[in-house]
Amino acid sequence: MKRKPVLTVLGVWLVVAVMLSPLLSQQLRAAKNQPAPMKLKVGDQAPDFKLQYFDGNDLKDVSLSQYRGKKNVVLAFYIFAFTGG
Amino acid sequence: MKAFQQNLQKLEAADTQVLGVSMDSPFANKAFADSISVTFPLLSDWGGDITRQYGVYLDKYKAPRRINFLIGKDGKILEEQLDDSAIDPTKIVDACERKKLNR
Repeated sequence: MKRKPVLTVLGVWLVVAVMLSPLLSQQLRAAKNQPAPMKLKVGDQAPDFKLQYFDGNDLKDVSLSQYRGKKNVVLAFYIFAFTGG
Repeated sequence: MKAFQQNLQKLEAADTQVLGVSMDSPFANKAFADSISVTFPLLSDWGGDITRQYGVYLDKYKAPRRINFLIGKDGKILEEQLDDSAIDPTKIVDACERKKLNR
């Protein structure tokens, strides 16, 4: 019965490995730069925001809530200024 | 952004406000808007708080993904377009015009 501790260690190690494997696969996916699924889905409430733009003279505030009940809003996120798209 | 500018009249006629968002400074965005003759606001999410809140921040670029959200008057998301498909606004224009007809 001298080998029993070895088996216990091996068993614990296996359990830990199984528990960690989803984490690992998540990291692998991130490493491949595959974007995660969308956080906000169609039908979700869009989070309110207040952001600014420069109109040539002043910084102007724009919030999502100011359009509530008045207009639809297209929110077009783009990567950087002076790039295509 | 240019494609949205080309469709701006249609979108405005369908009660839709176009807002660009990036993590550039307001002044860089103004220069960008002028250089491509965009007349709708290009908002500055300096620091990226809103970009992260909307779940569109990409570590790879340290910037947002190219994504369009169409948000209805009730504040709910009606359409999402991701990456390359976000460049052509036809679907958004169609959705807005459809909505207008159905009202």
